[in-house]
Amino acid sequence: MTNARQQTAAISISDRRDRAITLAPAVLVLAFGFLSPLINLAIESLKEFTPGRVGSVENAATTVQNYHELANQAFANVLLTTFWIGGVAALVGQLVAFPLAYFIVRRLSPRMRTLALGFLITLVLSSVLIKTYAIELTFGSVGILRPLLLTVGLSANSREYINIVVIAGLVHSIIPVATLTLMGAMQSIDPRLLDAAQSLGAPGWKAHLSITLPLSLPALVSSTLISLTFAISAFVIPMVLGRGRVLFMSNVIYTRFSDIANYPSGAAISLVMLATALAVISVITLAHAWKSRR
Amino acid sequence: MSTHSRTARSGDRVAGALAYGVVGLGLAFLAIPLAITCLMAFDARTFLGPLPPPALSLHWFERLASQADILSSLRTSLVLAVLTTILSVSIGTAAAVGLARGDFPGKGILTSAFLSPLIVPPVVIGFGLLLFLSKAGITNGMARLLLGHVIVTAPYCIRTGLASLLGADRRLTDAAMILGATERQAFWSITIPLMKTGIITGAIFAFAISMDDVSISLFLSDPSATTLPVTLVSNMRAAFDLTIAAAAVILMAVTVVLIVVLDRLVGFDNVVGQGLFRS
Repeated sequence: MTNARQQTAAISISDRRDRAITLAPAVLVLAFGFLSPLINLAIESLKEFTPGRVGSVENAATTVQNYHELANQAFANVLLTTFWIGGVAALVGQLVAFPLAYFIVRRLSPRMRTLALGFLITLVLSSVLIKTYAIELTFGSVGILRPLLLTVGLSANSREYINIVVIAGLVHSIIPVATLTLMGAMQSIDPRLLDAAQSLGAPGWKAHLSITLPLSLPALVSSTLISLTFAISAFVIPMVLGRGRVLFMSNVIYTRFSDIANYPSGAAISLVMLATALAVISVITLAHAWKSRR
Repeated sequence: MSTHSRTARSGDRVAGALAYGVVGLGLAFLAIPLAITCLMAFDARTFLGPLPPPALSLHWFERLASQADILSSLRTSLVLAVLTTILSVSIGTAAAVGLARGDFPGKGILTSAFLSPLIVPPVVIGFGLLLFLSKAGITNGMARLLLGHVIVTAPYCIRTGLASLLGADRRLTDAAMILGATERQAFWSITIPLMKTGIITGAIFAFAISMDDVSISLFLSDPSATTLPVTLVSNMRAAFDLTIAAAAVILMAVTVVLIVVLDRLVGFDNVVGQGLFRS
């Protein structure tokens, strides 16, 4: 008995030691390279900005000025642009990803399915730069989709045209991730449910509306929110495709750094952006809690 | 009844055609821009002209290869991606093993903390690191970039590592040790092989993400260490010509090679099962 207890104790001590050794590198890297920079950002965002200086002065006064300055029409417009363009892109992405995921899961042979999966994973892993450039080529001055937009009556220099191109850029990145996310949920829906509904006389579209859609609704909600988080933190896509006229929050942070070197203001915008991202994430977490409760 | 089923059937036909139309348009939208980029990279004209190119040539690739800044940033990117992959896989695999070893207080919080860099906008991470590292006196460009890339790629390695250990039976390690293996032997001959798929998936994701990152590298690059995507972005903003299409073709080829390796070693179904696309 005593022996056995000693044995357990020995195991747990070695376990505890192993745990410390295995977890230490990740904890150190995270604390130094992630948490400290974020805390420093929060401190920096409260520092007074001295024009003409790179970064805040050593003992700069504490102020909420950097946040106060954001309460203006220009920044509100940036926030609004980020959200409406990001939101539209997230929704359009789901509209394509939902039937696409169903098609891949239920309509393709195993061989074609693997091919489709490979295509989607390739897209996820390809550089955002390649995708952005490809969209620019497609919609740009010699692009094949340009005549299409021009016939609809959009001028190539109009704000609407640029908005559409930015949305197209975001959607191109959103579709693969959303499709892969939705495929998991589609796979777990029993295909016999659909067969049953249809053999009982329900038309196909109605069977989908009352079976496939409700059963994949939680996945659809989180896929939408994941896409939204991606879209509102996008940086390269609005920077290149927006031609300086569509500005997302991330682009404003970059200009604070590259153009006017106002670090405290950049830090304040970073914190606003972080808070927005966390707010969207907590909605995802709540949706998950709601899903598992049901 | 018959009218009902007829309307039902025509409703189905419309809905089905609509769904297939969306799927077809969606796939076309994903594939066509990339196909155009590949085609235009081989355009023999020296200017950006309308499709299709009248003749094909490799001159955009030659021009790309003659740019010194492209070559040096390509070298930086490759070295950085290799170092990032090695570090992230080591740190991430170790952390996954530690997290999977039984329950302990704070396990949930620690797991979330490890994965949290994935939910913070990359620009915020890049800008935060820039300010912090300047204050901390770390000015070496390569070191800054490496830290930034490890921060965003290690969570993927932790996640894939954890997913591969999820199905693994802890008793296998115990059995090896009862049969006389030392702890170290059991770790290298049981735990690590069990984690193989997770390690490979994590490594490929880490390499690809490091090769492609712009949002973080743009803040941390300096004249001594600039990554390829950062050079390409500034070229793209300066002049829109087809050397970038040539670069895109090369980057795409790298991705395709990675994907083929991933399929051979792990299989796509397993990749999706690693929890990277968990809803």
